[in-house]
Amino acid sequence: MTYPLISTATVGHEFGPYDVTISSNTAKIYTKAIGGIESPDYGDSQAPLILVAVALTKLIDELGLFSGGLQTIHAGQEVSWIRPVKIGEKIDARGKLAGNSIRGNNRFATVKVSYNDETGTEVGSSSTTIIVSTEHA
Amino acid sequence: MTHSIGDKLSGFKREITQERVNSYASASGDHNPIHLDAAYAATTQFGTRIAHGMLSLALVTEMLAINFPNTWYSGGNLKVRFSAPVISGETVKIYGEITDITKTNVGLIATCSIGCEKPDGTDAVVGQATVPLE
Repeated sequence: MTYPLISTATVGHEFGPYDVTISSNTAKIYTKAIGGIESPDYGDSQAPLILVAVALTKLIDELGLFSGGLQTIHAGQEVSWIRPVKIGEKIDARGKLAGNSIRGNNRFATVKVSYNDETGTEVGSSSTTIIVSTEHA
Repeated sequence: MTHSIGDKLSGFKREITQERVNSYASASGDHNPIHLDAAYAATTQFGTRIAHGMLSLALVTEMLAINFPNTWYSGGNLKVRFSAPVISGETVKIYGEITDITKTNVGLIATCSIGCEKPDGTDAVVGQATVPLE
């Protein structure tokens, strides 16, 4: 049996970098998903949460949580943003496992992610906590 | 715009249609079948398709962008927990309130309680945000 990375990764394990640059087409689809008449005009910038969401998808994939019928619960999320990011602006996301422990029948993992522009300057950060049943992980 | 402790943030209600969930999956790349495949979702603990938690959180951040248009993306922070799933087709209420305003060395910072409420009154997302005031 092959166990997902989350079963073996230790605190400090690094993820990425992932290219989370958002194209104008992706930004339009995102707006279609969450937009409404109240929505603000982002102009040529984008809602930063799409960057976090794209990075999270890549993280969950690398952790092996999309395979084997694992049911993952997204338990908590932190986001800090430093400056707006323009649509199409190149942004890389780098993650680091900040916690990975078993409580009861569940594994709790926390991954901190830093988002950086082409100059290496941080534009935002996030922290995601997920729970996976230890039956599989 | 002036802000005071106790101010309710301008919130809104939004129906989380399956079309929105499908679009969100395309934008985020998260095609987990629990969000998209009715037959698969029926076999899970939820018994039906649920929206991505980050979709609900995205709506909460829309509210923050509406209420703090010039500062939310330049120094804003949030911390939330996902306490219940939003079922595809449910209409959620996005709400918030300023609970504190603190003077710091970089200016005034508003602390807000924030959330996404399901039709039955329970919270799908609940937490706190801090936002610089102009």
